[in-house]
Amino acid sequence: MNHRAGLLTGAILLSLLSGCSGGMPVPLQGVNRQLEASGGHRGPALGQRWLAVIQQRGSREQVVLIDLQRQLPVPLPGLNRPDALPISVSIDARGERIALVRQLEGRSELVLYRRPLQSLQLLPMTAGAIPTAVNLQADGRQLAVQVSRDGRWQIDLITLP
Amino acid sequence: MTRPWAHWLQPLAGITLAAALVGCEGQSWGLRRAAPTTSPLAAEQRRDPSLSGDGRLLASIVERNGRSSVLLQEQPSGRMLPLRHLRGHQPHRSPSLSWNGRYLALLMQQGGQSVAVIEDRLSGQLLRLPPPGGSSVEALSLAPDGQALALQLVQGGQQRVLVFDLSGLLEPDRPGAQRVSNPGP
Repeated sequence: MNHRAGLLTGAILLSLLSGCSGGMPVPLQGVNRQLEASGGHRGPALGQRWLAVIQQRGSREQVVLIDLQRQLPVPLPGLNRPDALPISVSIDARGERIALVRQLEGRSELVLYRRPLQSLQLLPMTAGAIPTAVNLQADGRQLAVQVSRDGRWQIDLITLP
Repeated sequence: MTRPWAHWLQPLAGITLAAALVGCEGQSWGLRRAAPTTSPLAAEQRRDPSLSGDGRLLASIVERNGRSSVLLQEQPSGRMLPLRHLRGHQPHRSPSLSWNGRYLALLMQQGGQSVAVIEDRLSGQLLRLPPPGGSSVEALSLAPDGQALALQLVQGGQQRVLVFDLSGLLEPDRPGAQRVSNPGP
């Protein structure tokens, strides 16, 4: 509890320290309180009014989507599964597409979730490329994927239809 | 023998090899390797990719001489774009670009700690966001229009995410806004 209070206090302090161009970063208190109350989080990805993030609750991790305007979580039916470990998540500006690298049955895979359709699609990688992180272009048309290939980190670009 | 054009042919081979992979709905997927740097070290390690919202720019972290440095490139040419404030503050981590690439947010080293900064490539200004007390910043994400920033923090072994409104600090960088090819004054 002290950690949480410290972070929120720190967030306010940050807002006081950093303003050098007249304004200040303002903590989104409602969203931050909700995040604080629902366990640990990592791997944030911002869309225009969306936050996709990996939530840690007990031993389980899952992708959650928060509507920043309404300050409420949005259901993602069909995206999370209890036997998969999310590694990296990214979202487009409109919050319609979510790209996810996850570990399933000991293998890393890249999937694309289309929220309006509630559909999940496995994206093929070239032979020998293991996806380890993903960034979705804000217009949703292209992915930049960090892959491990022959023991080296590289970046593949994938154009989406 | 090293051929200076060899590292340019490598991604082309990647395009030939990987293009037109077919998705399960019959749609075609274009897959290619990101344009290389102009360094002769074509096989250098690259990670933490971030695309601008229009896909014109790619920021990534490269390992050079044992230091992790951010690299900003036009796509697909691979032309490197200059950054003003980041030299000497390695390691860099977690780059994040706004829609037209006006803003580049990332973590850099300053005063023995990792600090979130945002470089405004149009005005040439650098905005520093020191970590909230007692925490360290592990990752960040900038909203496409540059009006919000999410920080992943670690404090007391706990991972947390906080979101900040930057609308009082940064002008919006929305689709169709001015592109920045060279840094400002």
